[in-house]
Amino acid sequence: MTDLLASIEGSALAVWTRESPSIWAYSTILTLHTFGLAIVAGANAVIDFRLLGVAPRIPVAALGPLFPIMWWAFALNFVTGILLFMADATTKAGQRVFYVKLAMIALAFLVTLAVAKSLRRDADAIAAAIPANLRMLAMLSLLLWTAAIVAGRLLAYQ
Amino acid sequence: MTSLDPLVQWLQATQLSLWINQSTWVWPLCETLHFIGLSLLLGVTGFFDLRLIGFFKRVSVAAAKDLMPLALIGFAINAATGAVFLIGLPGQYVHNRVWWFKLGFILLAGVNALLYETRLSARVLALAPGEDTPGTVKLIGLVSLVSWLAVLYCGRMLPFLGDAF
Repeated sequence: MTDLLASIEGSALAVWTRESPSIWAYSTILTLHTFGLAIVAGANAVIDFRLLGVAPRIPVAALGPLFPIMWWAFALNFVTGILLFMADATTKAGQRVFYVKLAMIALAFLVTLAVAKSLRRDADAIAAAIPANLRMLAMLSLLLWTAAIVAGRLLAYQ
Repeated sequence: MTSLDPLVQWLQATQLSLWINQSTWVWPLCETLHFIGLSLLLGVTGFFDLRLIGFFKRVSVAAAKDLMPLALIGFAINAATGAVFLIGLPGQYVHNRVWWFKLGFILLAGVNALLYETRLSARVLALAPGEDTPGTVKLIGLVSLVSWLAVLYCGRMLPFLGDAF
């Protein structure tokens, strides 16, 4: 395992990400990761707060186009996240909070998928009143994406 | 901005600044809150700006505006935690050009929002769902969106651009 991590960290791509003096290497990858997180967590917050009763004049069905924006931002963070991991693989793999972050993201992603599915499938019912289980998913989504941000941030301090 | 050095030195010597630097948890906590705040701020203003620009037309501008208190909460969190960073390490920011760009973009977003609120908002709030916004309002939305993205860019790139780290 240690050998594998070390070889990942020593790969040309990882070395470039970590050590290139180019503005397009580490700093831009990290910045793109931050843009992605703002879009994913921010768009999720808009949807979740609406489902929890904030801004009730917004038709829930009209929020549908936010999902593709989130999927693209999530894909951006998947790719930039892998690059950031590769650049620092041995350290990251040794940090417990890194696994907490991955778990939070996996759970948050599943919950967001469930919300998206529910909005598509139960559009008519939701337009009348937001079902309790959907509110629960919205609350979970808010908590999990927040937890993912917290874990991600704390990675820098261990 | 070496002319601000006396202020930097004074800030750095305050009890508050010492406390921020000596604590192991204040800085990480504030950084974490700063990221939560920026997500809330960018998510909500981004959505509102996109509506002003002409997306999400099924949502009336008035309805989209009901989310704005959340953006203000995000901004308040980030102004407060940003102040902690500035008090903690004033030189790191004041001597970095990119930090001034960041402040400039925050100011631009603020002036832009004020212009919208005082000159255009009343007319736009009367629009029904599905109705398009006038060109000036689209421009306001675009300026806001670009400004906040630039704020994020400058903030994240602060340690890499500029000259104070």
